[in-house]
Amino acid sequence: MRIASDRLNDIKEAAVPLYEHVFLARQDLSQAQVDALAATATEIVEAGEGKVVKTETWGLKSLAYKIKRNRKAHFVMLDIDAPTGVVAELERQTAINEDVIRYMTVRVEEHEAGPSVQMRKTDRDRPRRRDREEF
Amino acid sequence: MGRPFFRRRKSCPFSGKNAPKIDYKDTRLLQGFMSERGKIVPSRITAVSGKKQRELGQAIKRARQIGLLPYLVK
Repeated sequence: MRIASDRLNDIKEAAVPLYEHVFLARQDLSQAQVDALAATATEIVEAGEGKVVKTETWGLKSLAYKIKRNRKAHFVMLDIDAPTGVVAELERQTAINEDVIRYMTVRVEEHEAGPSVQMRKTDRDRPRRRDREEF
Repeated sequence: MGRPFFRRRKSCPFSGKNAPKIDYKDTRLLQGFMSERGKIVPSRITAVSGKKQRELGQAIKRARQIGLLPYLVK
């Protein structure tokens, strides 16, 4: 019986889900305020025995469409390694916060090593290319 | 002229070695599979495989939700 329960623990440890949490902060906040929001989110995760593996601030980006009368928003992404309840709590508190105009949590198989695409590309605002595979 | 209805067999741009990974954060990549109006282009045109087209659709929809991509371009 002991062996069986040990194995169960192993499985539980291996199965800690990984998430990516992206949130958009209002455009008129300062960078320091945005960092404070990210810190609050990290605290919430750590309070629930989760880990924030990586925090990425993508900066002030223009939105594809207006969200709550904002044309731009500060983007922040957190790579989270935490049990499910923590994510529910994080989303609950984020939803209450009026400085956050939108958020999304996605479950991922593995966290990307190194900076994500958003951090890598600098020539993002050049005209979009129109070549597609031949018709 | 020759064979008017001949189409070259196309292969999926997301299969094979060093194919790009479908990611909702990679707006540049995703935009290549959207029309000028912001619609998702059908796989019969882009030759994306069925499985990858579903992933692609989900990635585009996620990117739309967080305002990285438009729902429609007027």
